Amino acid sequence: MSSAPETPSRELVRTGTQALALRSAALVRRGLRDLARDSNWLIRKVFDGPVAHAAVSPDGQVCALSPQVRHGSQSLTLFDIERCVPTLTLRLSNEPAADPADCPARFAWSPDGRYLLGAWGPNAVAMQLFDLHAKMLVGEFGNFSRVPSDISWSPSGAFVVSSSTGAKPSLDLWRVQPSARAAGDSVAIPLKHLRVPEWIEDQTAGADPTEGGNFSGYGRAAFSPHEKSVAAVVEIGGEWADDMIAFLDALTFRRKMIFEAQGRVTDIAWSNDGNRLVYCSAGQAYGIDPLSAECTSLPFGGEQCAWHPQIPACLFFSSWLRSSAKGRLFLVDMNRITMFDEYSAEGVIDLRWSLDGSKAYAITNEGLAYIYEPELL
Amino acid sequence: MATKSADPKASRVPASPPLKPEEMELLRKREEQVSLESELTERELRTTNLRAELGAFERRYLHLVGTRYAELDEYKAQLAEKLAAEQPDNERAQRAAREARARASDTKSGAGEKAEHEPRAFKASPEMKRLYRDVAKRIHPDLTSDREDRATRQQLMARANEAYEQGNETGLAKILTEYESSPEAFRGEGPGAELVRVIRRISQVRGRLAEIEAESQALLRSDLYQLRLRVDEASQDGRDVLKEMAAKTDQQIAEAKRRLAEGAP
Repeated sequence: MSSAPETPSRELVRTGTQALALRSAALVRRGLRDLARDSNWLIRKVFDGPVAHAAVSPDGQVCALSPQVRHGSQSLTLFDIERCVPTLTLRLSNEPAADPADCPARFAWSPDGRYLLGAWGPNAVAMQLFDLHAKMLVGEFGNFSRVPSDISWSPSGAFVVSSSTGAKPSLDLWRVQPSARAAGDSVAIPLKHLRVPEWIEDQTAGADPTEGGNFSGYGRAAFSPHEKSVAAVVEIGGEWADDMIAFLDALTFRRKMIFEAQGRVTDIAWSNDGNRLVYCSAGQAYGIDPLSAECTSLPFGGEQCAWHPQIPACLFFSSWLRSSAKGRLFLVDMNRITMFDEYSAEGVIDLRWSLDGSKAYAITNEGLAYIYEPELL
Repeated sequence: MATKSADPKASRVPASPPLKPEEMELLRKREEQVSLESELTERELRTTNLRAELGAFERRYLHLVGTRYAELDEYKAQLAEKLAAEQPDNERAQRAAREARARASDTKSGAGEKAEHEPRAFKASPEMKRLYRDVAKRIHPDLTSDREDRATRQQLMARANEAYEQGNETGLAKILTEYESSPEAFRGEGPGAELVRVIRRISQVRGRLAEIEAESQALLRSDLYQLRLRVDEASQDGRDVLKEMAAKTDQQIAEAKRRLAEGAP
């Protein structure tokens, strides 16, 4: 008698149908996704908050300091926004903050999402550079009296500009070189260091310190798309003081233009062609021409903004909505200045477009993600 | 199994010799085998039905929606390429164009060629189901312990599944006839060997039942099943969700074409 074969016979019932299912899996997922939404916005609960700081990457990840301290150390967790799962936890070497949920922090993803720069902690800090492909800390650089107020990568990923306020406010330009670590060199070379330039002293000279009006440091900063300019917010102390926006040469920090804004500037974004800059101050959105300094008050409020990488469309978040206490996310066609795809949202702490511009992400302090994904933008 | 009969004529028939222990065991095992084979046939039919229904649904989905997604992605790729051409120094635009082109290619490959007619939903007739049960009972590869016979059955069963999914009754009947007339259908040995064979078949059937259960669960958990569930739910309210999705995608295609024609992204 022949002995019975032990192999399972499942393969015999497979037909062409199953092979087809594998090939069409992405299209089926897309259909399910399209069915599940009633607008171009999808909402996901990515992590439990509250967190004070989080940063979204161009490839749909978000990093946030863990609100808990475990085994005496604080950790930084990365989450996949689409799948709502943690993908990596980095144990941090710093002294943990007494209240991690309130720990000052600043993060910035490299344009390709491979590197993450971060600084956190209540005391003097350096910026730490993580390689997320290698899942390791590459090195640290800089020495700040407090967490930088902003860290911004250049579009090519070759440079970083950091802004700081406090006792030693400065604007710093770095050339980032993660691969130099292997040769024992620093992961970043300081190229420019701007403290209190003369043009700022000119602007604020004679101001009464008790009434404000004094230079207090640098805030948001951003490279233009072609990396020729850097726009940096110059923060002026005082409750009623107006911040300024400095347009500088990207490599020399030579002043190109100084623009006096209205109120406290909370965010800036360059247009995709580098010919315009939008900024949000005191809850209002404005547009500036960096060459002529012509400024236009846009017909809507805004506190955060992110310009699409290829087309004249900008995503805004405004925490104040007329006739209600709730905020909203919305897009604006920046040629026609028309709003579309508005969605109510609260507590947004970061906005970002995906690298290819097909999606935009907004993350809230409660770990809620708003994913903007139109079939056709 | 030997039992006493109430028929007086039967009592005059010489009593058959008592069954040997291995023969009694063989009888019990055969009963168990018959019961399990019947269960296997039913489950195989249910899973094949589900697979066939999902296959037909998938073809309809790809025909109505998938091919439109492919068309839309093609226009999106062309728009992205146009933008990239207008902004040669914008590396992000160049990369976005490359990615859009790759996505369009993937979507086209996933959607396949559009059929001339809309594929029909799968619905097996009672006669098809009866035929499939007969075929599965007779030629299921897990019902033999002979290696060569099993190989033959595997091929025939695969053909049977295909015929069932295509609603080909004649094909199914032919497969059954083909096997019944084959030499593998006539095999027999003594009770001892038969007992071993039956025990092995029972083990095989149990193994296959576990596999069918796992396969069935995987199908029920699949995205395709979830999508069909949504479509079926909506159809109870008189809506054809696939046609609605197709219409929505048509609007997006028209918008993309308009933008391409106008030259404004």
